Amino acid sequence: MSADLAQPHPLVVNSTRTRTQVQPATSVPWYIWAGALAVTSASIGGQWDVAWHRSIGRDTFWTPAHMAIYACGVIAGIVGMYLVLATTFGKSTHSARLREASVNIFGLRAPLGVFLAGWGGVAMLTSAPFDNWWHNAYGLDVKIISPPHALLILGIRAIDFGMLFLILAAMNRASTAGDENYKNLRRLFLYLGGLVLGGQMFFIMEYTWDVALHRVIAYICLAIAIPVVFATISQASRFRWAATTVSAIYTLSVIAFILIFPLFPAQPKLGPVFYPVTHLVPPKFPILLIAPAFAVDLLWQRTKAWRFWQIALISGIAFVAVLFAVQWPFANFLLSHASENRFFGTIYFDYNSRPDSFDRLRHFFRPDSGTTVWLGLFRATLYASISTWLGLLFGRWMRGVQR
Amino acid sequence: MISARRRLWLCMTLTILFCASAAHAHVGNKDIYQTVSAGPYKLFVTVRTPLVIPGVASIEVRSSGSPVRGITVTPLPLTGEASKHPPTPDAMKVSSSDSAYFTGSLWIMASGSWQVRFNIDGTGGAATASVPVPAVPTQILRMQRPMAMLLAALGLILVLGAVGIVIAAVRDARTLPGATPEPARHRRGLIAGAAAFLFCAIAVYLAGKWWKVEAADYRAGMHRNSQLRTMLNSNHLDLSIGAPDPNSDSEWKIVDNSQLLADHGHLMHLYAIRWPAMDAVYHLHPVPDSKAGFTEALPSMPPGTYHLYADVVFRNGFPETETASLPLPQGISGVPLGSEDASADPPPVSTTQLGPRFKLPDGYVMTWDKPASLTANTPYNFVFHLLDPHGTPASDMQPYLGMPGHAAFVKTDGTAFAHTHPDGSAAMPAVMLANESSGSSMDGMNAMDGMAESSTMKMSVEPLSSTVSFPYGFPSAGTYRIFIQMKHGTTVETGVFDATVN
Repeated sequence: MSADLAQPHPLVVNSTRTRTQVQPATSVPWYIWAGALAVTSASIGGQWDVAWHRSIGRDTFWTPAHMAIYACGVIAGIVGMYLVLATTFGKSTHSARLREASVNIFGLRAPLGVFLAGWGGVAMLTSAPFDNWWHNAYGLDVKIISPPHALLILGIRAIDFGMLFLILAAMNRASTAGDENYKNLRRLFLYLGGLVLGGQMFFIMEYTWDVALHRVIAYICLAIAIPVVFATISQASRFRWAATTVSAIYTLSVIAFILIFPLFPAQPKLGPVFYPVTHLVPPKFPILLIAPAFAVDLLWQRTKAWRFWQIALISGIAFVAVLFAVQWPFANFLLSHASENRFFGTIYFDYNSRPDSFDRLRHFFRPDSGTTVWLGLFRATLYASISTWLGLLFGRWMRGVQR
Repeated sequence: MISARRRLWLCMTLTILFCASAAHAHVGNKDIYQTVSAGPYKLFVTVRTPLVIPGVASIEVRSSGSPVRGITVTPLPLTGEASKHPPTPDAMKVSSSDSAYFTGSLWIMASGSWQVRFNIDGTGGAATASVPVPAVPTQILRMQRPMAMLLAALGLILVLGAVGIVIAAVRDARTLPGATPEPARHRRGLIAGAAAFLFCAIAVYLAGKWWKVEAADYRAGMHRNSQLRTMLNSNHLDLSIGAPDPNSDSEWKIVDNSQLLADHGHLMHLYAIRWPAMDAVYHLHPVPDSKAGFTEALPSMPPGTYHLYADVVFRNGFPETETASLPLPQGISGVPLGSEDASADPPPVSTTQLGPRFKLPDGYVMTWDKPASLTANTPYNFVFHLLDPHGTPASDMQPYLGMPGHAAFVKTDGTAFAHTHPDGSAAMPAVMLANESSGSSMDGMNAMDGMAESSTMKMSVEPLSSTVSFPYGFPSAGTYRIFIQMKHGTTVETGVFDATVN
């Protein structure tokens, strides 16, 4: 299989199919903006919730952070319901156009992304009573990853991808029709791609804490979770700097959280309080994903004619090599006095971090060395290659999505 | 370690805990009712601990004494480093209709021996006091049918939805707008749908396994009281507290006595109540052996099956009531009761409902200002009086085990037992630990090392009243028998009363 990674023109998926001329949209539809807003709300809510747990500790369903997360489900639900009703039952020309670009699930019609987001909304809705029962049965949250929380996270992810698909289908159709909105839609698609990347980083947060960055497990987690996103977004968007762009969005958003969260007062409401927190504790400084992203973008621009497995293999090596080359020494900097300022954010600690903890002492947690590092990096390279390969396949498939 | 022969003996005489649902301190009584004096303020505190931990406890406070403007509450462990680093306190909410009634909630994030610290502000200035709160998970909640049906229905929608989405993704998504998918795409869609269904089925199965692991983890973390083992040899009763060795199924680990704190001068307070008539009750104080275990030379006790309730307090301030059942044969030749022991032989609970006056063997009378009606989970301050044979308040009152009185509230179905004091239901050593850590001081027991302390208590120099009150709330509806002990001269009286709780 060949890969045309930065193809600027519309892709003809199957030339034997009957074509119908799709009227170009005059502007980006409101529901796409609403979808982007929904995913943004969940992303901010997720970071806010972690900051809440690190600063205030006490958690109820009604915290503003939770509201921001659930707003994602509510917005997705409204958008989904409107689109399903309009597409399935609408009599207008607009509805007829929507119907032409829809998929059919059990007699209901809407774009695929709407159904995926709707599925995510139902998953979030299911997780709420389940989580409430869980609290009553086994106590309030001690573990972040519990079955009802996993369902909630799965629901949010489905909404993320649903919105990505909704934009993607419109983007692919705009590309086919030569619509000038294509670039706007692609910008939105890349923006959501950046949020999806942030979601991946959120999931592996505890393995990529700054004091854990001299452990190979951090690089193995990154090698599994990140290249698949880079490759998928790059393939689907056909943008030559897609990986760099989504990495920049992730990096800038996390830096924004570091600068903004500490402006808000907060007091610990759970004990023991080993560190006097007075304001919201922001996230750790972002991983320097932008460096390997730039490397793979350059690589993919020069390997368009290669087979996927060849691209994946070389990309895995490039990803891990560049990531390790920049992040390992940067971790030293993050643990030095030089980084103790508001920008790098190494001056903030959880209320319950003990004075003798690795985080407070600014010591690496059980650092690896010697052959453990090299063998770990070898494993990471393998995983990064597989991750890239899956992303290339999925991204290529996404490129053909029209509905 | 116990020898094999001795273990055999134990097996013959031992009956395992008869209350599987026994709570930690007391039995079947999870809530704490305590009176607190802090400076000029007097508070009646009710702490309703959560059934699951982590969870939220609710607190109710009624103040008397100097007017209180505001109260803040802080939960913190009773002992250890974490007890020195409290979180930001929470203000209690004052009732709009009653300025002396405050409510609030406490977040208990780990099971163990906790305390709630009260910072009181009022016309008498600022004051601090603490109440110990033993908090452990005591419940496994089963999912109720409507909730299970709801989740199953939503789960089915999710599975079918996922299958439908996959079919549509393969069949329709890449077809150009307006075009009809070819038959080959239909076929591929169905195959993908079947694969998605299989994937979902495996995911649901694995999620179920994960749920079971989480539930088992929780169950393993639930609090289990230590076990009480007994061995009777003539009138010598040997008692030992311990638990199965987690590292070896066949071994039993005895709790070392150095792990216990003395409560009112004794490491163990043992109530023996003949069951089910509840017509013989003994409040005894077994003597600790040199390292572990206790011995009690029993008084002459009528034969029958006795429920034993052994109150102990661990070094971290965590109280437990260990329970066992002891069959006592006829003709035990007993010793006289110890000077700090007490007994009573009221009529059987099955034949007589005792009223608010109880005639004592020496002509004294104990009376109870019994409320007109009693409801479960309501805080009461139960008041009792001791009258001499002439009907006037007893004048030669003495402290009994350092207190104006002791009370035991026992449900007749055996599901609830609480040994309480005029200050409340918290164990005295835990109260002392709590107030030491909060910086406030208390009179009474200063030396708490159980092995070192004698039973001689620091007595109050003021004459004691013949009236004593006990803060308490019945945990559930039913019939209770109440045993009240007060001392005059050298006589420890045990008054017995019955109560029907709605």
